Amino acid sequence: MSDRVLLATFEHEDDLLAATEAVRRKGWRILDAFTPYAVHGLDRAMGLKPSRLTWVCFICGMTGALGMLWFEHWTASITWPIDVGGKPWNSLPSDVPVAFEAAVLLAGFGSVFALFGVSRLWPGKKPKVVYPRVTDDRFVLVIDEADAAFDVPSAERFLQEFNVVETAEHTSEEGHYS
Amino acid sequence: MNSPRFVVPHTLSRKLITATISGAVILGVTTAISPDRAWANLLLLSYFLITLGLGGALFIALTNVCGASWHVAFRRVPEAMTGLLPIAGILLLATLAIRLPQYGWHHHGHGGPGTFWFKELWLSPKFFAIRAVTFVLLWVVLARILVGSSRRQDAHAGKPIHAGVSVLFLGIFAITISLAGVDWIMALEPLWFSTMWGVYQFSGLILATLAAMIIGCICLRRMGPLEGIFTDEHLHDLGKLLIGFSCFWMYIWFSQYMLIWYSNIPEETSYFIPRLHGPWAPIVAGSLVLNWIIPFFVLLPRPSKRSESIMLRACVVVLIGRWVDLYMMIFPPVIGTMPTFGLPEVASMVIPCGLASWLFFRSFARAAPVPAGDPDLVASLHYHA
Repeated sequence: MSDRVLLATFEHEDDLLAATEAVRRKGWRILDAFTPYAVHGLDRAMGLKPSRLTWVCFICGMTGALGMLWFEHWTASITWPIDVGGKPWNSLPSDVPVAFEAAVLLAGFGSVFALFGVSRLWPGKKPKVVYPRVTDDRFVLVIDEADAAFDVPSAERFLQEFNVVETAEHTSEEGHYS
Repeated sequence: MNSPRFVVPHTLSRKLITATISGAVILGVTTAISPDRAWANLLLLSYFLITLGLGGALFIALTNVCGASWHVAFRRVPEAMTGLLPIAGILLLATLAIRLPQYGWHHHGHGGPGTFWFKELWLSPKFFAIRAVTFVLLWVVLARILVGSSRRQDAHAGKPIHAGVSVLFLGIFAITISLAGVDWIMALEPLWFSTMWGVYQFSGLILATLAAMIIGCICLRRMGPLEGIFTDEHLHDLGKLLIGFSCFWMYIWFSQYMLIWYSNIPEETSYFIPRLHGPWAPIVAGSLVLNWIIPFFVLLPRPSKRSESIMLRACVVVLIGRWVDLYMMIFPPVIGTMPTFGLPEVASMVIPCGLASWLFFRSFARAAPVPAGDPDLVASLHYHA
């Protein structure tokens, strides 16, 4: 595998979207795309699989709700039954608010930390910005120069169709872009 | 730039009118056999209809105030829903007028149990009637102004809509829907009260409105006028609102229930005891399944919110749930200890479908299907959820 990548810089999100779509159709490997804000439809253009984060969220939420229901039942009616207002020990309605809160809490924390984990974001991590202006007004597409057959000048010509403003070759460190 | 007007197919109109008239005949016959049951059905269906119309106006006002642009492509759909208001208003006022002498607690007489001067004044027949007429008139007039300002854009393209009337509408809506719910439905059990009632009415209203709006949009997309205009992105966002308000409805339902269950005071529990013990209980359980459990689990995955057929089914479930929810509010105090379901109830399901659809399509056909003069239309057409 080559460790060289091509950075194509665009001025408009529409250009980036069209270029991404075309590059994927051509069969070149897209390593990543960097944009100043979330560009709708980019995930589809890059051919990414649907996010699995929703499943993490659902499972964490269910764990929170069911786990808390079980815990409340165990504390209030098995280990230490307390008579509240003459109601039965295993009163489901009184367990619902806490179960709901636990579901929201676990679903929220679960999703956020799963996202941080998957994107390898943690405190103290040094940002590697491929191109400083992606944090302002430029859109960058990172293409893998897969093998010797990848011809940079012809790729640049191809990208001209999508109003590419700048192309640059970088050497990727292992695992940096993918 | 104006696209051609939508023409309601004759066969469709005829079917809808036939359904409405046959429902009306069944209810007419029921009036002779069992007036209580017929009246309960009449109140159910007219309240159902008026809240759908009101919900359309609410959606327009809310989006205007937010300065939203995503909905502009299908804004004529909630606008057409407000076309239900005048007829539903007349129907509702007539329904209330039939029972005005017995309505509320005032037939218990002066100084009866659970009364005090303000309640006696509030539920006196004259004041009750004045309020009902005022609410309906306010809704009809404000909805007309809201829709009118959107229609004027067709002639004067590019003029943004003023949010002033929308702000006024939202304030008036919040107060009137709470009071109307208390007057027309909570007062069926005049000795019972709940401070959650207003927001409970709102939660059912907005949920049914969204469901009806989605069905309207999908039908019009299939019939042609919104083809290529109402996109899957719009459907997706309406689906998110639907699942969100389904949870909101459940949240409010449970909040009302839990507070009453916890404090366990006889004058408060009088609403839930007949409904949760005995023959009505399975129907309450059914309303929770239809309004929350089914929509929640069905609409949770992203693809189902973007699928026309799944959304259509979920919306039908929600609308049936709304009917059952209203049935559980209205029927126990009016018809007594045993639930009934027969031809008259089928009629009160069929009439809202037939009449609402007929009024909706007729109202939709009166203006261009797309607000072409709205400066936000392009943003809405290219909208990504």
